[in-house]
Amino acid sequence: MKSIIIGGGKIGYNLLKTLKDRGYNVTLVEIDEEICRKIAEDIDTDIICGDGTNLDVLTDAGIHSADIIAAVTGNDEENLVVCQIAKKGFNIGKSIARINNPKNIPMFRALGVDQTVCSTEVIADLIEYEFDRDICKIVQTFDRGAMILVEVTVKEGNRWIDQYVKELVLPSECVIASILRDDKAIFPRGDTHIQNGDSIHIITNRATFPEIKKQLHNGGTQYAKQKK
Amino acid sequence: MYIIIIGCGRLGSTLASELSDAGYDVAVIDRESKKLDALGSGFNGLRVKGIEYDNNVLREAGINRASFVISVTPDDNLNITASLIAKNIFKIPRVIAKINEPSKKDVYKVLEIETINPTELISYIVRSKIEGDPK
Repeated sequence: MKSIIIGGGKIGYNLLKTLKDRGYNVTLVEIDEEICRKIAEDIDTDIICGDGTNLDVLTDAGIHSADIIAAVTGNDEENLVVCQIAKKGFNIGKSIARINNPKNIPMFRALGVDQTVCSTEVIADLIEYEFDRDICKIVQTFDRGAMILVEVTVKEGNRWIDQYVKELVLPSECVIASILRDDKAIFPRGDTHIQNGDSIHIITNRATFPEIKKQLHNGGTQYAKQKK
Repeated sequence: MYIIIIGCGRLGSTLASELSDAGYDVAVIDRESKKLDALGSGFNGLRVKGIEYDNNVLREAGINRASFVISVTPDDNLNITASLIAKNIFKIPRVIAKINEPSKKDVYKVLEIETINPTELISYIVRSKIEGDPK
């Protein structure tokens, strides 16, 4: 499979190295001569020094026979233009754009970029995960929140504790994927018994997530009220 | 008729003032407020500061009722991005972009963006002046 990477910054360089190690045929396009030279000393691959949004440069890079193109420069406009040229001008099957400003994601998707990767959003999510003291954590977001993987660590006082999976009242748009107990994965069935300290992995979407939280905590608050 | 001009450089600001004086409704977008200020108090249109292709900025400029979007920033990639968004997402009937780097002409063509090419125009005018000289 032939692939082209546009942009030889940190992301482009590491991507090139990874793909090269896996035996892919990769060509790198980078505008800065000095960076081109440095990478050429390090990695044995085709490097084209030029503007990745220029048709002649892309032709030199072999875009006619490429299967996949990844635009990973630090400039969102440039990444979009590369992907648009690849799609409309050369019929490339798959185009991936790095997005620096998360606000641009929906717009780029609407314009037909197959895959967007936003490092800013990924890092922000990771930091938020660490900050999140709640027992529900979003572990992974797929397809801009259309699907999310949530980790719920069941504690004393939660409604789900000491219940069987089949007894749980769950919204329709969610699935319990696995339960981690003592570092062992359990693939839950209806008769799986939920215990204190279990990490339950749930696949759901952003809209349903608050509903699940409510289900989980409601028992606890109601119980507390009854006690009073 | 409502016209949005993206980029308030030499061409953008001249165009904005002239169109506004001619009685058109004009909005100008630029990320530098200094450039928008340079339009002066005589300019009656709307000035919007922000990233030129940002959804909210374009909406603030009134893109939903625009009949023309003219993209004249000095960055070709910015012009292309703004034009594609105006054309394909907001379905603006006429979108025109300025070509800065003549070698990028083919890119605009592939992406079906209507263009003006100042370099080509100036070169043509100068050439015809030279060739038209009787001596």
